[in-house]
Amino acid sequence: MKKKLLVFSMLLLFVFSFSAVIAAEDVTVEFWTMQLKPTFTDYINGVIEDFEAENPAVEIKWVDVPWSDMEKKLLSSAAAGNAPDVANLNVPFSMQIAELGGLVDMDKNLSEDVKDRYFESVWSSNTYQGQTHALPWYLSTSITMYNAQIFEEAGLNPDNPPEKYSQLLEIGRQIKEETGKYLMLPPIAETGRYLEYMVRQGIPLLNENRTEAAFNTEESVEFLEMWVEMFEEGIIPRETITEGHNAAVDLYQSNQAAILLTGPQFLDRVQENAPGIYEQTKVAPEITGEAGKVGVAVMNIAVLKDTEHKEESIEFAKFITNDKNQLDFAKIVTILPSTKEAAADPFFTDVAPDSKKDMAKKVSAEQLNRAVNLIPPMTNQNELNEVINQMVQNALLGEKTATEAIADAEAEWNSILAE
Amino acid sequence: MKRRKAYTPYLFLLPALAFMGVFLFYPIVDVFRLSFTDYNMITEANFTGLENYRNLFNDPLFWKTLKNSFIYLIGVVPILVVAPIFLAILVNHKLAGIKWFRAAYYIPVVTSMVVVGIMWKWLYQGNGILNYILQTLGIINNQINWLTDPQIALFSVMAVTVWKGLGYYMVIYLSGLQSIPQELYEVSDIDGASWWQKQIHVTIPLLKPSIMLVSILSSIAAMKVFTEVYVMTNGGPLNSSKTLVYYIYEKAFENLNLGYAAAMGFVLFIVIFILSFFNIKLMDQSSR
Repeated sequence: MKKKLLVFSMLLLFVFSFSAVIAAEDVTVEFWTMQLKPTFTDYINGVIEDFEAENPAVEIKWVDVPWSDMEKKLLSSAAAGNAPDVANLNVPFSMQIAELGGLVDMDKNLSEDVKDRYFESVWSSNTYQGQTHALPWYLSTSITMYNAQIFEEAGLNPDNPPEKYSQLLEIGRQIKEETGKYLMLPPIAETGRYLEYMVRQGIPLLNENRTEAAFNTEESVEFLEMWVEMFEEGIIPRETITEGHNAAVDLYQSNQAAILLTGPQFLDRVQENAPGIYEQTKVAPEITGEAGKVGVAVMNIAVLKDTEHKEESIEFAKFITNDKNQLDFAKIVTILPSTKEAAADPFFTDVAPDSKKDMAKKVSAEQLNRAVNLIPPMTNQNELNEVINQMVQNALLGEKTATEAIADAEAEWNSILAE
Repeated sequence: MKRRKAYTPYLFLLPALAFMGVFLFYPIVDVFRLSFTDYNMITEANFTGLENYRNLFNDPLFWKTLKNSFIYLIGVVPILVVAPIFLAILVNHKLAGIKWFRAAYYIPVVTSMVVVGIMWKWLYQGNGILNYILQTLGIINNQINWLTDPQIALFSVMAVTVWKGLGYYMVIYLSGLQSIPQELYEVSDIDGASWWQKQIHVTIPLLKPSIMLVSILSSIAAMKVFTEVYVMTNGGPLNSSKTLVYYIYEKAFENLNLGYAAAMGFVLFIVIFILSFFNIKLMDQSSR
């Protein structure tokens, strides 16, 4: 009896050791995305299947996380020691993690010809202190959506939308007088967005050494005073102080605002929620400032430093951001690829003249070669953003004059930058 | 036989104690430990001694948010201790349809605070329905900036907390009321007491345990307010509606400065502990 037991357990051990060896060859790479399910489930699954076909020893485990939960989920999983291997992050958040040393340096791990695939300006939006901590994935540039009917009611030419911030005061006054509606809700008191507005206007943010604030100029004061005037006259709603982009979309959809500055993918949302407004909507290039700069929002693919499968993770990151996969993605939703060859495809220039979404895509793509990531990476970005938010809120509410608010913000920036 | 019986209650308590140990006591101790570090969730925590506490005491925004939380306390707690008593007395009658009223008052309690916050945000809008009604009735001439005026925003948010909490405390008082013997009211009727005198001399003294419970619960809830602020104002405008817990959340999850947030969390813990202690002492004294 004992002999039989011994033989049996040795056989069992033998069998199990085999399966352990086989299991060890299969690598699982965990990949997190920001709110791509259910709309893009088929596309991402397709990319994963293609990758697994080319790399049979690698299995990709895909987890989709709601947009607003991504940061918290990633941080808590990192704290618990089971962070994903590859993650789709936006620039500010990947910057935050990179500052703490949490991401793999792509500059060191990719060859020059692979790096060359990507647009230079977009690649460098992830470069900080000599390291590039993520691969750019899909991009979107903002466009101007405007309600042609409100324009007509206000006696404005619907084929001649505003191009610069300096035109907004007059147009806003006319819209308010003739229709009683708001011009728009500019998200200038939220998460440092006003910095982008300043950059578009040509106001410098930092001095050359990036050690001191440089936005305390006459132009800067005039620019802020313009927004204060719009606020006081009710051309932009009071909710500008506490609300952001979501409220701007709501206001436009509910026919209370004439203009919406947003990404072209929001056309789908407007079409679904407010088909009547969608009918009246026209599309134009992003309203910008005197410097004529256009912003680009970059979505990244980053590899977490703690990954146990660095090679495979980097391969997957390269794969999902390659020309073919990005072009396929851009064909199913109004986004732009970060790679040069994909962006040169005629898909982006051949448009049906009546289609709003095609127009949006064309406008968006045309802006790409003059688009830059408006805000350079800075340490303590959150704190610096908060100072700007307070500066705008103080000025709009009349608690400080524009001059005082900007001067105080400059002083606070200098003390944060000196840390 | 006796010895076995003595252990049994503890065995029954063990699962609950274990659960509380893991999810309540251990985190409290760990937060205290974290408050002496520079933990940011990504890299290893380094010991920094009392630096977080020093920064805290010199941080004007910490004091402002603590003040806001105390304003919340002083504004919300008296209303939530007193008003639900009368609501409970009202719905304690055997009238037709009274159950509908009880349910109606309780519906805000069971509605998610996020939904309530969004709904009230719409009501409070500059061109929202609240201003519309007030202007149409001629009560005000210009719109009131409920959530965008730094002087009023905090009070607008407090009103939502009160609105949502009334039903919850009403139910606590209702159960307290139903344990008051009816004979006492009959005796006071014979003595010729008015309705108001009955409430002062019978109802409220016998509701003392419920009143103590409600005042402690509502004080703790007022000091911990977060969701309303998060949904309705994000602490703005100009940090006027930012409560301490919101600031802790901001520091921890937006600035990734968990050591500092832990220090603030621990200070809040001490504040609430002292508050509850005085609450109980006050009740004990007045019942003598």
